[in-house]
Amino acid sequence: MVVPYSPLPDFKDKIVLAPLLPITFKNGKHEFSTFALVDSGATGAVISTVIADALSIKWNKIPVSHGLSIGGSFRSHRFNGLKAEIYDHEFTLSMGIIEAAAPYKCILGQNDLFQRAKIIFEAYKNQFEIIFRSYN
Amino acid sequence: MKQNKINFVNLLKRYKDGWVGISQDHKRVILWGKTLNEAIKKSKEFKEKVYYFPAGESYSNFVGFILTHGSTL
Repeated sequence: MVVPYSPLPDFKDKIVLAPLLPITFKNGKHEFSTFALVDSGATGAVISTVIADALSIKWNKIPVSHGLSIGGSFRSHRFNGLKAEIYDHEFTLSMGIIEAAAPYKCILGQNDLFQRAKIIFEAYKNQFEIIFRSYN
Repeated sequence: MKQNKINFVNLLKRYKDGWVGISQDHKRVILWGKTLNEAIKKSKEFKEKVYYFPAGESYSNFVGFILTHGSTL
């Protein structure tokens, strides 16, 4: 499946193109749909605390761990067993819930989406291809 | 199969802050809330699936490199 990069607003009326996917998270009876950045440089998936709240995850009762980004460190709360659905493919993932996530509130990375699908970035075409693995 | 482009520049141009609720076909903003919680409350009026996205963010110069605890380089 080929997915065009999404134009996003920049300051000064410029445009940024980014690989985003529609995603629905499920935590028991709670569902939340948003758009996730597909980030080959991210070790694992993260969501912001506001999304965790929407999924009724008591993230502030989960012990804090620390992650690293190019801009420094961040506080994270590890939550296992969250279900994700992307283009009718459903899988379970471990999610870092991070405080003050910006600008992206949801990022998928190597330990989750990239384990489930072959992803080919074609930035020169402003698109990427995602091919989900088959499980018997 | 090629998906349709989701153009957040067009979708978000009228919104400077808060959260928007985007239609299931990703072509229209169907609700807005000052907070995500407010947007979710407004979504109860809609039967279709709503995709939430923050408004008022600038996405320039993002360098995505996230290493979570327990991972190694």
